[in-house]
Amino acid sequence: MHLRSQPIEFVLFLCASFSVVILLLMLLFVVMEGSLAFTRLGTQLILGQMWKTNSDLYGGFPLIYGSLMVVSGALLISIPLGICTSIFIAEILPFQLRDPIKSVIELLASIPSVIYGFIGVTFLAPLIASIFGLQSGATAFTASLILAIMVLPTIVGVSGETISAVPIEYKEAALALGASKWQTIRNVILPLSKSGMLASVMLGFGRAIGETVAVLMVAGNVAMVPTPPWNYLAPVYPVTAVIAMQMGEAAVGSLEYSALFGLGLILFIITFAVNTIADVIVRRRPVGRSVQL
Amino acid sequence: MSGQTGEKVIFAILGVPMLICILIFLWILSLLLTGIGTVRWELFTMSALRGGMLEMIVGTIYLLLGAAAVAGPIGVLAAIYLVEYAPSGGLTRIIDQAINNLAGVPSIVIGLFGYTFFCRHLGLGVSLAAGWLTLALMMLPIVIRGSEEALRMVPASFREAALALGATRWKAISSTILPAAAPGVVTSVILGMARVAGETAAILFTSCVLITRGLPKTPFEPVMALSYNLFVQIVALGAPAQRVFGITLVLFMIVTSLSLSAILLRSYYRLRQPWLRMKG
Repeated sequence: MHLRSQPIEFVLFLCASFSVVILLLMLLFVVMEGSLAFTRLGTQLILGQMWKTNSDLYGGFPLIYGSLMVVSGALLISIPLGICTSIFIAEILPFQLRDPIKSVIELLASIPSVIYGFIGVTFLAPLIASIFGLQSGATAFTASLILAIMVLPTIVGVSGETISAVPIEYKEAALALGASKWQTIRNVILPLSKSGMLASVMLGFGRAIGETVAVLMVAGNVAMVPTPPWNYLAPVYPVTAVIAMQMGEAAVGSLEYSALFGLGLILFIITFAVNTIADVIVRRRPVGRSVQL
Repeated sequence: MSGQTGEKVIFAILGVPMLICILIFLWILSLLLTGIGTVRWELFTMSALRGGMLEMIVGTIYLLLGAAAVAGPIGVLAAIYLVEYAPSGGLTRIIDQAINNLAGVPSIVIGLFGYTFFCRHLGLGVSLAAGWLTLALMMLPIVIRGSEEALRMVPASFREAALALGATRWKAISSTILPAAAPGVVTSVILGMARVAGETAAILFTSCVLITRGLPKTPFEPVMALSYNLFVQIVALGAPAQRVFGITLVLFMIVTSLSLSAILLRSYYRLRQPWLRMKG
């Protein structure tokens, strides 16, 4: 190695490790700001049933429940839609149409969440209110619908990548043995891309649970577990929404401020775990070229 | 014969979800387009103090350009390291994993971090500069991944030719590989900008205010942004749809034109540079 190129290499290395440093700093600072809440509230922050800022009660359970409810609703809709779409685009759609359709889905992904929120508030919520005869259309169901649209591109994109990463020889071999197109898809392509699809769902979950603005605008924001707990037509107050709504008013250093960072840490840990698992799944794929998440 | 009909039915069923995706896109497009009639175009160039949106538009552009100026160079250099220098091993895997994890951090958590780290501990306060840094964190993984892909698509023969002519490793990179990858690198920065142009949660407490007197004169003043204003007007002020339609449309146009130009740029250079067509 040339001695003269070493300082450059070091600068390049610093830039590459920047992401690691930032992640560590993020963890450090969020933990630091949340430490008051952890010591004072303990497990109450996750298990406590009441979130009432006025009475200084910070029980995160209804919020976490709200988040999970909205996200599972969204995934129930977007997983089947997304997986089928990705198979259709990668294997069945005529070749010339693939790129245009992929571009449309990419555009769908680029629409900012505040615009999805706007659409939710202005068009979807009134629609849902009138269909179900509710006073307000801001419900867990509305949030699930909007969120489903938002994570669809992630699922379609990542599963599509894994499907097209299956080596063409496998497909050709199956077809040469007399398998029909559907048999090839079902018996060769799907088993090989199963893990990638699972990864796409994990990433979709991570995206969905961290989504803030759109969800906040349509979820109704009532910090209670709906009665009965599976009632999707009731308002919920997801974790992200609480942070966004209350950070502005929370006094720096107060228990409320710290509790909001505590919630932030929970989100950080969940998404970190989900992304790491998705990464491991993709790396362990049996065949095919590497896939970028 | 019946097998083939059965197959057609299956394919048709698989096609329905894709049609739903496209219909959703068209539905959103049509919803936004119906609002065009209610927009007063003169508001675009009118100061926010008089009910216009000039400062929001310029503020959003300031935020975008600053974030790109931070994330662009760092991202490209990181990509060069990962493609050209990084040894395959534990540390490189950690870096790789960290980039994916950074991409997955929810924007609200990035906003929390930006507030405590940039605004409070670095003393930037709620300011344009804090917004640049916070948004740059969101852009970074996109720029790194995009540039990496662009660098990897440059044929090895380019590098070998430069090295054979006696160029140092860095000289080979800066004089042949980087220029060949430049369109892809630029595309990745544009994609990163598209990703953060409408970002709200990350700048909610780091950078934005509802109204300012004119444009910020230094990076240490707060700024107005389209996304933030749209959000606050609906959520906190309960503004009716027709009052915020203008903001929504401008924001949509900015984001869509950024992503469209990235998509078009990419396919244009795929056609122009024959070696890029090999992949994908």
